[in-house]
Amino acid sequence: MGTNLIGARIKALREQRGLSQEDLAHVFGFKDRQTVSAIETGERRLSADELLTAVQKLGATLDYFINPFLLAGEGKFSWRQSNVALERLNAFERVAGRWVAANRTLAPEVGRPPPNLRQALKLTSKSSYEEAMAAGERFAADFELGPVPAERLAEVMERRLGVLVLMVDAIEGISGAACRLLDLDAVLISRNEVVGRRHFDLAHELFHILTWDTMPPEHVEDASERSKIRVEQLANNFASAVLMPTEVLGRFEPAKVNNVQWLNDTAEALQVTATALKWRLVALGRLDAVQANKIPDAALRNNGRDVSGRKPPPLYSKAFMEVIALAIDEGHMSARKTADLLDMRLDDLAELGAAHGVKLALDL
Amino acid sequence: MARQRGPVLVDTNVILECWRMDAWRALTGGYRVETVEDCVIETQTGFQRRRQEQQIDNAALQSSLAAIQKVGDAERAAAIVREPMFSFLDLGEQSLWAHALSRTDNWVLCGPDKASLRFGVRLGFRERLVALEGLLQDAGHKASGLRPAYTSSWLSKTLGEIVIMEASKRK
Repeated sequence: MGTNLIGARIKALREQRGLSQEDLAHVFGFKDRQTVSAIETGERRLSADELLTAVQKLGATLDYFINPFLLAGEGKFSWRQSNVALERLNAFERVAGRWVAANRTLAPEVGRPPPNLRQALKLTSKSSYEEAMAAGERFAADFELGPVPAERLAEVMERRLGVLVLMVDAIEGISGAACRLLDLDAVLISRNEVVGRRHFDLAHELFHILTWDTMPPEHVEDASERSKIRVEQLANNFASAVLMPTEVLGRFEPAKVNNVQWLNDTAEALQVTATALKWRLVALGRLDAVQANKIPDAALRNNGRDVSGRKPPPLYSKAFMEVIALAIDEGHMSARKTADLLDMRLDDLAELGAAHGVKLALDL
Repeated sequence: MARQRGPVLVDTNVILECWRMDAWRALTGGYRVETVEDCVIETQTGFQRRRQEQQIDNAALQSSLAAIQKVGDAERAAAIVREPMFSFLDLGEQSLWAHALSRTDNWVLCGPDKASLRFGVRLGFRERLVALEGLLQDAGHKASGLRPAYTSSWLSKTLGEIVIMEASKRK
């Protein structure tokens, strides 16, 4: 576990500071850069004195070199947000990075390594919206998402694609994020969004995960279902089709009199937003765009429901909590370290596990 | 097992459990009990990571301990290069182990967290890991009502499991 953590951190810090391996060899008093190279790749372990030299000469804390829950020089996030100051976003990214890094480090230790292969959509930025929608339709069919695709999407992403899906308490303005590490993909969703919005964000971030290499998303994107940026529009078309495949929509009786009522009820049944449903119908040619524009957004807010009594899903995910539980139970990570990682009291941690049906051994 | 005559190093969990069971006086009366500064901090309200916090008087705690060890980067660096698993312990547990590894006397360590125990086993200190229950009983204190993780039987069973896991990891 973390056998080359220190070497990887030294490399990350060296690159961040714009230093060469020769420069670092000079700092440590090594004869040549090969020794630095061997440390960075883990072939040679640092002595305690050398580690202290790194702390003193490179101006980083000891924690920087030994904390396994930092994403230092690795990991790219793409945030779906509205008007969040970059400084606040970056601060939250550091917190979120700890959760992702924890899963990345602990899951293989407890026998849950990420998949060996990574799946991708055969789309590019030149693909048409129709092609994105077709890919979404096919995804829903291939992975048998069923009559309410939103219901099974997170499970399929976790179990079939090996994507870490976390429900989080994000700062205000953040809807979700996709995160790419060398060996792990993750999606974070603000759990306090309404259910339809959460599902749309999830499907949207799934698109980014499945197209990261051909269409790397921006670090920050606007959380709108009507984005003007092409990649985001492709992602929205894909997401709409995943959540509302033609075949699934065909099972509903077409609207007769009150479009608003029909949109709200159908969206509720599919666990999507009525607004997303409206534009999906326009894209499929089942609703006239002029008519759609006449439907006021206010009438579709929260699918016309009072959502004040609805509780958000529990934090993180069952799969994540299972990894945490095993890590504690097998002695890979201490209970107090876990509580610190998730910023919780031990009792709250046990309760969270129980909410996911996962028992955590925290009776200390 | 013969009663421990040397220093007993205790972690935050043990201090909290002793306080909860009103057994702190018996423990510190029977042994040379030591800890580290970070564990002392973690016993104070706001840092216990528990809903129901113990009200532990800092002055009383400090005066009852034989020593409160200060741990710096040098001890921590020495510990992490010996075993990378050090990073997966909490700050108090890290400091306690970093201090223990710097000593050459016949210390024992009392701390029930499985990761802390696994760290100790991996470094070859299985025989120095002791249960609170055993310490209290040897000191003549009736130790009933302790949580399972502080009992001798739990420790014995858990150490056995850890030894097996470590052996299978080496294969």
